[in-house]
Amino acid sequence: MPEQPIKDKTAIAGIGWTAFSRDSGRTVIDLTCEATLKAADDAGISPHDIDGMVTYFHERDTITPRELTHALQIPEINYSLFNNMGGGWSSAAVLTASLLVHGGICKNVLVFRSANGRSARIARGTERRATGNAQYLLPYGILHAAATFGYRATAHMAKYGTTTIDMAHLAVTQRKHATLNKKAQMRTPITVEDHQNSRWIVYPYRLLDCCLQTDGAVALIVTSAERARDMRHPPVYIMSGVGGEAATRGSWETNAANAAPHLYGGAGITPKDVDVAEIYDPFTLQAMIHMEDYGFVPKGEVGGWVREGKNGLDGETPINTHGGLLSEAYFQGLNHVIEAVQQLRPEGVVDDLCEGPHTYDRTKCRQVRDPKIALTCGEDGGSSLLLRN
Amino acid sequence: MATEYAKILPVPDPDSRAFWDACKQHQLKAQRCSKCGRFRWPPNSVCPGCFSWDFEWVQLSGRGVVESFVVPHDVRAPGFKDEAPYVVAHIVMDGTDGNVRITSNVIGCNWEDVRVGMPVEVTFEDATEDITLHKFKPA
Repeated sequence: MPEQPIKDKTAIAGIGWTAFSRDSGRTVIDLTCEATLKAADDAGISPHDIDGMVTYFHERDTITPRELTHALQIPEINYSLFNNMGGGWSSAAVLTASLLVHGGICKNVLVFRSANGRSARIARGTERRATGNAQYLLPYGILHAAATFGYRATAHMAKYGTTTIDMAHLAVTQRKHATLNKKAQMRTPITVEDHQNSRWIVYPYRLLDCCLQTDGAVALIVTSAERARDMRHPPVYIMSGVGGEAATRGSWETNAANAAPHLYGGAGITPKDVDVAEIYDPFTLQAMIHMEDYGFVPKGEVGGWVREGKNGLDGETPINTHGGLLSEAYFQGLNHVIEAVQQLRPEGVVDDLCEGPHTYDRTKCRQVRDPKIALTCGEDGGSSLLLRN
Repeated sequence: MATEYAKILPVPDPDSRAFWDACKQHQLKAQRCSKCGRFRWPPNSVCPGCFSWDFEWVQLSGRGVVESFVVPHDVRAPGFKDEAPYVVAHIVMDGTDGNVRITSNVIGCNWEDVRVGMPVEVTFEDATEDITLHKFKPA
């Protein structure tokens, strides 16, 4: 696949986030404003310099770009997008911002994801109507994302012999990463036994295979590479991106297998060049199948790979260094992009337990050693990005 | 009877009406393209292979194989809550060249006994006067 014309032409220049909690006690607009102001400040621009906005959701739980524009009295918005494609679209949200900048429509695009994803969800309940495609699913009790996506895991287990012990090791490693992340919701270490003793949610997933629910907001600013070089932090360049889904060869494979050749070709690199990956992890084995399909481990071998800790901070490809959706927070993957940016900046992550320079002491430090290229992706490989410093 | 059914019911539409009507007659049907002969699922007006709009409804044998499955345990929705744990499977129907893959419950066995590759056959549950649901049991 040829290199993409957008390669290295745009960059992520600012990142921001609120506290992550189970019950913020704040409105979603309030949370969004906080993350936006922090991202703008991190970039060294005024919030009034934002002239484009992109956000996404699944069950409508957030504010529109228009509401945010009004709340901050932003004088000029040249493009805004309110997209309901959910966690599969996380990296595509950033890619969209890149395209808007590269196309000359916008200068500084804000990408945000905000919700009272725990407290408002509990209040809202789960009433749904079985229309459209849902008429073939809801009457049979597909009521939870673990049921929607769990069939990939069962098929992978049957085809490759992957076990729930393998899945436990992924949960344990990501929790270990989260213990080194001050903003993570879950910072108490867990063991394989804890995982095996946790209750079934939807077989083959137990409680500790499943992601969190979170109140809060994350935001980032995409601008041109040229402008980014004059901003507060060295740029994190967007090398390539893909955002779309089609059929896969079987239940044991995700769309990442379709996306990978375009993504790597678009950047002119191979999976071996990726130093750190922030992979969509709504459920343990779903994340593991992504790891195979992006080429970090041969197909069918991810169980042993994870058992040996090759996804750890000093492993072959460090993955979900912040703890991921499983242990940091659930922002449908935009928190993964924030983490990739932190890892790629010269000063590294700012919210681990290191005081002063990074030590790589894994009781305090979650910074990966000198990463140059990072991969991020959304649910089922529905979108993905390659970033570099 | 109709008022006692607590679970979510399908809302038929112009594409699916004939399918649900067949279920009421305890027949499992799928569309086959009149031009290229390809089966498709879920119901839709146009063939995804040759893009012909001509099709016929064909009664399937009702037999298929479990391609994969999940077992919801933690369920709060009315009706489903009392049945959990229950099996929801992807079932590839025999004689459709793999093009009809139906999501449904496998009933009549313990969830621990369900396996990928297990043969199953259709059975029908009259949920209300208007709606009959296709389900599957071990063949």
